Amino acid sequence: MLNTSSAYFVFLAGVFICYWAAARWRLPTLAVVLGANYFFYARWDLFYLTLIPLASLVDYLCGMGMQASKRNWWRRILLGLSLTTNLGILVAFKYMPGWDKNWPWVFPLGLSFYCFQALSYTIDVYRRDAKATSSLLAYFTAVSFFPAILAGPITRVSNLIPQLEKPKKLSASDGGRALFLIGLGAMKKLLVADYLAENLVNRIFDFPKLYSGLEVLAAVYGYALQLYFDFSGYSDIALGSALLLGLKIPQNFNMPYAATNIAEFWRRWHISLSSWLRDYVYFSFPGLRGKVMPYVALTLTMVIGGFWHGATWNFIIWGALHGLGLAVCRGWQSWRGTSKWDHPVSRALACFWTVQFVCLGWVFFRASSLENALEILGQVGSLTWSAANLSGTILLIAGIALAGHYAPKKWLDASETLFARTPFFAQAVLLLLLALSIKYVAATGSAPFVYTQF
Amino acid sequence: MEFPRKTFWTVVTMFGMVAGLEYVPELRNYRLLDWDAVKQVGDFAPSRAMPLEPVEEAVLKPGRVYEKKVVKGQVEPLSDPANSLAAFYEAIERVESGEPGAKVRLAHYGDSPTTADLITADVRGLLQKRFGDAGHGFYLMAKPWAWYGHRGVDSDSSGWDIEASNLVSKKDGYYGYGGVSFRGGPGSRARFRLKEAGTTRVELGFKQVAGGGSIVLEACGERVGDKSTAGEEGDGYAEFAVPESCRDLTVKVEGGAVRLYGIEFLKAAPGVVYDSLGLNGAYISVLSKFLNADHWQTQLQHYAPDVVVINYGTNESVFAAFVDKVFEKELREAIRRIRVALPGKGILVMSPMDRGERNENGQIETVPALQRLVEIEARVAKEEGVAFFNTFEAMGGNGTMAKWYSSEPRLVGADFIHPMPGGAKIIGNLLYKAMLDGYNRYKTAKRAPELAQNL
Repeated sequence: MLNTSSAYFVFLAGVFICYWAAARWRLPTLAVVLGANYFFYARWDLFYLTLIPLASLVDYLCGMGMQASKRNWWRRILLGLSLTTNLGILVAFKYMPGWDKNWPWVFPLGLSFYCFQALSYTIDVYRRDAKATSSLLAYFTAVSFFPAILAGPITRVSNLIPQLEKPKKLSASDGGRALFLIGLGAMKKLLVADYLAENLVNRIFDFPKLYSGLEVLAAVYGYALQLYFDFSGYSDIALGSALLLGLKIPQNFNMPYAATNIAEFWRRWHISLSSWLRDYVYFSFPGLRGKVMPYVALTLTMVIGGFWHGATWNFIIWGALHGLGLAVCRGWQSWRGTSKWDHPVSRALACFWTVQFVCLGWVFFRASSLENALEILGQVGSLTWSAANLSGTILLIAGIALAGHYAPKKWLDASETLFARTPFFAQAVLLLLLALSIKYVAATGSAPFVYTQF
Repeated sequence: MEFPRKTFWTVVTMFGMVAGLEYVPELRNYRLLDWDAVKQVGDFAPSRAMPLEPVEEAVLKPGRVYEKKVVKGQVEPLSDPANSLAAFYEAIERVESGEPGAKVRLAHYGDSPTTADLITADVRGLLQKRFGDAGHGFYLMAKPWAWYGHRGVDSDSSGWDIEASNLVSKKDGYYGYGGVSFRGGPGSRARFRLKEAGTTRVELGFKQVAGGGSIVLEACGERVGDKSTAGEEGDGYAEFAVPESCRDLTVKVEGGAVRLYGIEFLKAAPGVVYDSLGLNGAYISVLSKFLNADHWQTQLQHYAPDVVVINYGTNESVFAAFVDKVFEKELREAIRRIRVALPGKGILVMSPMDRGERNENGQIETVPALQRLVEIEARVAKEEGVAFFNTFEAMGGNGTMAKWYSSEPRLVGADFIHPMPGGAKIIGNLLYKAMLDGYNRYKTAKRAPELAQNL
């Protein structure tokens, strides 16, 4: 059940109504969300109804144990047990050879997002950054929260539990904002990302040698836009779905291609992953106060991030590129101080070069193999200029996507506010028109979200 | 706790209007709900309904694709009622019986998949595994497109002015056996690295002209020989013996101006040579018009394939007027030209694969003119008395690319035209098995004619 499918919207409407009908009482509310979470899992496979509760129970008990104990060795053992459980699930289903043949239905659910959320809880409790919850139901509900389970945002369980426990409220403006985000996300995904994927990116990445260097370069930039609109579209739907239940989960994107250096890019792109990697991987390295170790740790953290995306050289190269980029950026800033880029031209140039670097990384990220990535780079380097395959519609959609990405945030906020203030029937008509335009303009159907693969 | 009334009413009104689109007859064109998908809300194992079957197993598993019984009215992939492939099968038989120096040669003319050696590499590999490897065969002097490449040969080159018969605006018709010519001068070079050792003979094809130029062949850095391209205007060939262990060969232009067509790699052993002769964006006119008839005739006679495969149609299929008014005439002309050049040899018309495009509802469907084109090919082949391989039907017919696109792993690219390696392998297997099937029938007919009638 993809988050852009008819089935998902019917499911979400059902959860919304049941949830608010039960919201007066704590237990029924939690039961509705937990039931929805497990229903969502079961839609992928009934196997999850065994795996997830068992894994959650281990983490819950570890959390309780760490909270209760003052003995460090025992707390370490419990943390080790939680790490082994979650990393074991990841390794077993993601990296073990043959998993995709024996259990092809397992990975689409984005088990790695579940594991990251679960680990954030036990590590926070171990570090005493958060208190363990005594409520089994609240823990089970928060760690498996359905809107974010396919592809994030990675939600800190310790942030979600208090929201689930406190009295529920959904103001008319938050309700409008939730619906706006869901509509915006569907539009980003179905009108822009899927169009660019089907008509430009997939064709050219499949057979780069059939196209000119200019067309291949356009596909690389197209992929940068596709990935942003796909993933941020998913995140918007997840944020909107959570907000419909009165729950706030973290923003995942903030105009990433406006970053003026690679460090800023990671503060704007997949924010929940980069902050997770920072808090739970980077800060776990020893010697971070030394002169060299922070650079090594940065690089290794990103290599691990690359490996998490997939056990292939492409992802490792992508991670290493970003790790080295971050290390160089940090070194430069330590030496010369943080650049201000006051002048618009210098800012635009810094932004331009950052985007080129990010796009170089996307080549490895998207290519089906290392050979494919080298073919793409080789073809870009062929300096052939035919644009026969870049139709007017493709350029128009790419132009709209670019404008949408770089549009000032206040415009989006103003649209959101305006929508939220609109009477309910007008909201319904606008959403219906959006659904109709998606159906009749986007001719591709809904492709899986890119990030559900990870 | 306060019930979120406004949001609730928005949701209810929205779903009410969606339901209205379903049930108000006048609005049915604007239906939004995918009821099948909605019903799936309660389906707890939908992913298991999509079997992920490895391609090779699907093809090679006995009884899955090929060994099915052909029932009355069902299309047989390879039809050859006039027995036009007899000479080809005879050549295979000579190879199979171990006749010294026996070779069977296939010339496969096609479009972009052929230029990338997709399908042809698979058939070549299977035939050579079964009957022996007599060499890689013909290879262009340089890559006219980045997409050009053959399995088993790596090449790089510099200094060539490349003219592909289907792309140059001023065509003089002299493009050799492979349909592309390469003009070079001092400094022009082409390097070939063969994946396997065993090549004992290399031959360069060129245009002989007054004045001409001089070409040199090096094998593993050692000069093997040279040849002047000067002479009376016509086709020229330069043959060189090369050490069997050497896999690196370099062609250089030492002086003057030359116009080369390609290089062929042959082994001493008996077996199969399969020439993959594809041009990007090619269509039937390459054979019927663009290649000078006399020149192509002498080229075909020189390389002497036992069967010529005519594998066009994909590019034509999106030009309905061309399909309906021109294609048949040009296909007949291509067949006629080959017949004149190679009397008694086999001709196999191979239909294009399925080609998909999205319709207005976003579904992938076969381009409308493709089936008409395949029917034309089948009819012309029958009327001309040549063999016909119905790739389109053999791979599954109408809508196959939609299935291939959604299969895991994907069998066709996102253009719904070019097969991924797994898809090419399927077609290669189908063609190989059809050839083998025809060969077995030929042998049976020869030894027990009464049995053959029942096959």
